[in-house]
Amino acid sequence: MADLTRPLPFRSCAGRLTSRMTLAIETNGLTRYFGDLCAVDRLDLRVEAGKFYGFLGPNGAGKSTTIKMLTGLLAPTQGTMRILGQDVGDIEVAREVKRRIGVVPEELALFDNLTAREYLTFIGRMYRLPKATVRDRREELLVMMGLDSEDKKLTLEYSHGMKKKLTLAAALIPNPDLLFLDEPFEGVDAVSSRVLRDTLKRCVQRGATVFLTSHVLEIVEKLCTDVGIIAEGKLVHQGTMDEIRQSGSLEERFLEAVGSDHIERQTLSWLEG
Amino acid sequence: MDWSQLRTILWLRWRLSRNQWARGGRLNAVLTIVVAVVLFLLGAAGGIAGLLAGTFALSKASPPVMLLVWDLIVGTFLLLWLAGIVSEIQRSETIDIGRLLHLPISLRSIFLINYVASHLTFSIILFLPGMLGLSVGLILGGRGFMTLMFPLALGVVFMITAWTYCLRGWLVTLMMNKRRRRTIIAGVTFAFILLAQLPYILGNLMDDHKRHRPKPVQSVESDQRTATRPGSGDRTGVPHAVLLAHKVVPFLWVGNGAMSLAAGNIWPAVMGAAGAFLLGGLGLRRAYRSTLRFYQGQTAGNRSKRRPKAEKLTGKGKNLIERQLPGAPEEAAASALAFFRCLTRAPEVKMVLGTNFIMLLIFGTMIFVRRSASIGDNFRPFVATGAVAFMFLSLSQLMFNLFGFDRGGFRQLVLLPVPRKHILLGKNLAFLPVAAGIGAIFLLLIKIAMGISFVIVIAAGLQLLAAFLLLSMVGNLISVLLPYRIAPGSLKRTKSSTKTSILIFVSRMFFPMVIAPIFFPPAMGLLWSSVRWLPAAPVNLFFSVALLAALVVFYRLSLSNLGRLMQRREKEILEVVTQEVE
Repeated sequence: MADLTRPLPFRSCAGRLTSRMTLAIETNGLTRYFGDLCAVDRLDLRVEAGKFYGFLGPNGAGKSTTIKMLTGLLAPTQGTMRILGQDVGDIEVAREVKRRIGVVPEELALFDNLTAREYLTFIGRMYRLPKATVRDRREELLVMMGLDSEDKKLTLEYSHGMKKKLTLAAALIPNPDLLFLDEPFEGVDAVSSRVLRDTLKRCVQRGATVFLTSHVLEIVEKLCTDVGIIAEGKLVHQGTMDEIRQSGSLEERFLEAVGSDHIERQTLSWLEG
Repeated sequence: MDWSQLRTILWLRWRLSRNQWARGGRLNAVLTIVVAVVLFLLGAAGGIAGLLAGTFALSKASPPVMLLVWDLIVGTFLLLWLAGIVSEIQRSETIDIGRLLHLPISLRSIFLINYVASHLTFSIILFLPGMLGLSVGLILGGRGFMTLMFPLALGVVFMITAWTYCLRGWLVTLMMNKRRRRTIIAGVTFAFILLAQLPYILGNLMDDHKRHRPKPVQSVESDQRTATRPGSGDRTGVPHAVLLAHKVVPFLWVGNGAMSLAAGNIWPAVMGAAGAFLLGGLGLRRAYRSTLRFYQGQTAGNRSKRRPKAEKLTGKGKNLIERQLPGAPEEAAASALAFFRCLTRAPEVKMVLGTNFIMLLIFGTMIFVRRSASIGDNFRPFVATGAVAFMFLSLSQLMFNLFGFDRGGFRQLVLLPVPRKHILLGKNLAFLPVAAGIGAIFLLLIKIAMGISFVIVIAAGLQLLAAFLLLSMVGNLISVLLPYRIAPGSLKRTKSSTKTSILIFVSRMFFPMVIAPIFFPPAMGLLWSSVRWLPAAPVNLFFSVALLAALVVFYRLSLSNLGRLMQRREKEILEVVTQEVE
């Protein structure tokens, strides 16, 4: 069982972001079409550095498509993006930016035939971390995620939750300035979820930015400092959690943004008295 | 299950198939229809051919001829049937019972629908009408009691399909462990390939044995004595062992029944048909029970407290990925070691490599046992070079689709802040120990079998490296331009469009052209020795060194450009090689 109070031996993120760069993510007119379907429609996101940003939306709203575009997994049809102050339209720049970001994609990114320890070693080396650093971080992450006893299993044999935790560990190992997490708590058990939330909070306290999507509004409400709501590919709300709390709960704001009248119409005729 | 439920279930199956075709595109749908029509026509042709053969050609056939004909039909059917099983070892249910367990419908009916639907295979469509046509033809040819061939042939087909259905169900329970699943798939496929090639290898060896054995002088009289000796067979002249085998082995009961009917004895056919239906019934009952147990989670795997052997992993080599590779950049070294680790753990890759050895056995027995004496000294270096080229034939399947094997892992490669040329270099280097290892064994065997000189062996070793570089360059290009998705646990192409499939087929046709330059050094050796300028071996060695040096330069030059190309196309590659979230 991981020691929840012990901080990870990550170097401090604070101060690494220059004062000039206040926006960790900035998109202008970001659009993505799949055939005739417009999944993301002229998205103008502004995420300040050092914030815990919750990106919410109903199923099929365009959350994962947005994260894919921001992390370079999917090319936008139109629009520009600046990540950590850099224009990622340039391939070389994008590669350098990738060195400073960690990603947990919606569809996981693991090699079936490696063990968790081998996979984290591979990721650490690909980020050119010193051998001792890779070893230390890897072991701590494995303990923290409760995967240290599963070393004899290949990732192929992992459950969905275990795969998710390993992907999270891989995203954390380079100690990134910006974390993109697409539904990071989905399938993760309560204990690991708690550990993860604490870890993410610590990352933000140290100056890193977290961009998170989740269906669970309670998690977003507890963790996030800022919230963006997307519906049918359009950004329908963007603001701080404090602003939302002043005018009610996140759920109320969310339903209002995505259309609560929809709920009232959802009744079953044969259940009516 | 009432009629309305049955109709709904059939509608569901039809709708699922229709949606699948619709997703595959119009061309795919047209091709499916064409294949279905061709299969139907082949089945009809088989039936008519059987009818005509039974009526005219076999109407007066002797019992041993009947035995031979039916054995051939059943044997070929079994071979194709097994090939079908290998291509889809795990039983794929027409209707997934697991998704209907919670509904108030009879599972037995769904099981039967699935079982009946499992008969829609190439081998059954092709052979069953042929068998039935032949039976009708034999009746029309004047042998009324051949009517018994109907139940006999149907019974044996029922028995085979019921037991294979049971076997596949059993494999499903075994394959619940994903790692064991891959091993089983690879193992069964490998065993089938070996089994299919065994007659050929044995044939080669027996031919050779016969040719070298002095022919005994034997009179006609002694031949006749041997024929009538007890134990050599009955009046039909069929050896006793063959007759016994036809009584004991169930799928040979068709041949046995046909032979007996031709001789006027109906009982073996009656008993055979009854036995086949009985065995088939037992197989189907067992299949149903194991299916129910599987879906209700009462599998042996759950009861067993023993940790499956496959899950055990030795600590040996667990730090492999931490090691350095001299001269290689950090990222390339990490990639090479990680990909090498993946390759050596994947049963499907082991199967591809194992095929190399089967091919070596086949061609080895053919060349070395039958024709080694006829290969001149001047041409022996070509055998070594040919073996090198041949080895890469199966390896090219992996080298020409570098990212397909990564599946979801390719997403991580896209996310990594690494120059793509280092990923390509790492991918290529992962294959080097595999190629070098197999190549060394090949060359050693050739050295022992043909007695070629060490200089030639060294030259062939250099040609192996040259071939590796050539295929790496071409493989990198094809992998970037023409990636395709591989089904989990196999190297089988899946969900690729017809256009991609055709392009992949065409690209494979280029293999001989790609590998051709490695034949240049032995060809130069042959040329120089034939004009008596220099002996072949040193010339071969010199040109092998020169070829390798040139290819090292080309490879280094190509890597940066191919890396950039990969960077530009990685999102398209990702879309192709990764699994959809369903």
